[in-house]
Amino acid sequence: MRSRFLAVFASVAALTLGGGGSALGDTLTFGAPLCLTGDQAPLDTPGYRGAQVAIKALNDRGGLLGQQVEMVAIDGKTDPVTVGNAAVELIDDGADFILAPCDFDFGGPASRAAQEAGLVGLSLCASDPLYSSWSLGDKQFTLSMWNTTMGATAAEYAYNERGWRNAYVVTDQFIAYTVSLSKYFVEHFKALGGNILAEDTYNNGDNDFSAQLARLQALDEKPDVIFISSYGQDIGFIIRSLREVGYDAPVLGGDSYDDPAMIQSLGPLGNDIYFVTHTFMSADAHPEMEQFIGLFEDMFDEPPDTSFVATGWDAVMLLAQAAEIAGTTDGAAVAKALEENVFHLLTGDLTYRNAAEGHAPDKAAVLVEVKGAQTHFLGWRTPSNVPPP
Amino acid sequence: MNAAQFVLDVLSLGGAYALMALGLVIVYGILRLVNFAYGELIMVGGYTMFLVSGSGLPWLVMAGCGLTMAIVAGIATDYLAFRPVREKSVTAVLITSFAFSTLLQNAALLFISPRPRAVPLPELFSRTVEFAGVITPARNLITIAVAVIMLGLFSWLMRSTALGIAMRAAATNFRMARMMGIPANLIISAAFAISGLLAGTVAILWIGRIGTVVPGIGLEPLLIAFIATVIGGMRSLSGAVVGGFLLALIDTTLNYTLPQDLLKFRDAFTFSLVILILLWRPEGIVRGPASGQRT
Repeated sequence: MRSRFLAVFASVAALTLGGGGSALGDTLTFGAPLCLTGDQAPLDTPGYRGAQVAIKALNDRGGLLGQQVEMVAIDGKTDPVTVGNAAVELIDDGADFILAPCDFDFGGPASRAAQEAGLVGLSLCASDPLYSSWSLGDKQFTLSMWNTTMGATAAEYAYNERGWRNAYVVTDQFIAYTVSLSKYFVEHFKALGGNILAEDTYNNGDNDFSAQLARLQALDEKPDVIFISSYGQDIGFIIRSLREVGYDAPVLGGDSYDDPAMIQSLGPLGNDIYFVTHTFMSADAHPEMEQFIGLFEDMFDEPPDTSFVATGWDAVMLLAQAAEIAGTTDGAAVAKALEENVFHLLTGDLTYRNAAEGHAPDKAAVLVEVKGAQTHFLGWRTPSNVPPP
Repeated sequence: MNAAQFVLDVLSLGGAYALMALGLVIVYGILRLVNFAYGELIMVGGYTMFLVSGSGLPWLVMAGCGLTMAIVAGIATDYLAFRPVREKSVTAVLITSFAFSTLLQNAALLFISPRPRAVPLPELFSRTVEFAGVITPARNLITIAVAVIMLGLFSWLMRSTALGIAMRAAATNFRMARMMGIPANLIISAAFAISGLLAGTVAILWIGRIGTVVPGIGLEPLLIAFIATVIGGMRSLSGAVVGGFLLALIDTTLNYTLPQDLLKFRDAFTFSLVILILLWRPEGIVRGPASGQRT
């Protein structure tokens, strides 16, 4: 019931936000069945805005393959069926590429539709290894590193660089992303020789960490590092709950920490937190970052509020570069170009394995430290021996 | 397991749940309709605090702004969603309350951001105190204290003031109450205003735990309030409070005792217990006054 009412409003939203779907044909079209409303909106909206900046930049440079480019968005409303239908509609209208939402559950239907139509589909930031050519087809990719890389990077930072040996792990059972990130961290941390002191479970939206705290307090040992894999607002809540009662061990996590509001809300507790993410909004991460931020500000009159905006820019630019190499927008040719080349993106250097190996992205990750409720760039990391998905 | 810790956890969670439930049931009691836009009153309170956060005002003033806007939003729900269609059909009111909820959520999404926004918190909220041998965040004790004060105030209002007595009369038999000269619109607006006040209080306490506000922040409290009122008794105000504390007791007990493998299915256990309670007492734990027709 709820979603039906959302639908009415969301279509209005899509019209206001969207690129205004019109004349396809002489232009190359990026179809974007992204979730601009609902739970998924905080992840997809930044990518969508970054992609809009990229489309404009491409046209200013003279377009792609001699043609102008445009992006047409239809709101997927955080509903897998709606995302799938939106993708089919975009493909029927002549889309040349599909930009899929940031999650396997919501992005999968868009990629499956793209695969059926022989088009390349690219998720802006789905990081679960389920987002692979194994499950979606040989023309489907995700821009993000997989959680295998994310978890391994965190584990190597903890064990090799900082010498933390005893980890306490909290896993939010919310989605595949939160569960698999913990899994790969634990696997890799143990493989390195680390010890998992305890693992605990959290349910997203609970905003109650008291029982977990009681269990943690009952342990004889205090952890050297606390790994929290959660999502959205709950991360800040869990960190605050731990810090308040005296657990001041460093906290480690994934790209869901990349949220300025959450970090700001921690205030004086926002120290000694480290996370692995896609990129960092400064020239330290990439020489062209300042230029991108400038273009973003020109278009939206405000600075980006999360580094996830870069995933949208990268997704469009990656597909554009692959199409330039292939000399066509044909799905098979673009997929081949993606598989066979190295791409230098704002979110790191990227190569894809071939379709038989799942299109696993080999990608570097950024490490960020939170100090004084501010984020600081620690550098790019490439983990060795990434655990198998 | 430390018993004092457990009791404190249940009371602080239960206090917040009870306030959520009370805000929902006060409107239900009179109109016999669940206000599905209730969660958005909490959202309005949160976003108001975000919007005034740059003003440099003392935190209490900002919290006051949040509270006021939640009350205004509560009254607006009555005027925009309920009053125009109240006498026409139940379905219409149900739909308008959904629509109002969606409207508010999407307004926040479009005009502010789908991304979380930080809400100012007083330093007191992240301080810890030692209480009965347990180190606990001060806000847990604040939540308990605020819940006690609000529930006390509320029970005084309902028992000892003309407005409260009129509201209870309206909840028992609305038509009869109107015949006795009680102005219907005033009573209903008052119920929405109180609902808004409770939602605003919940916003401060609940967002005080989280630290940020998002357009969908009201969904969880609405769900909690709904379940609490169903087990407590939809027609009774004290039932809502009992239901809130009971739900907190169930959740906390399960959180403490379930093994790790089962913890992810905690909600399934909670709802199984809710079903058992409802089989045992289909009208909820506390039976309200026998009531007449919906108005």
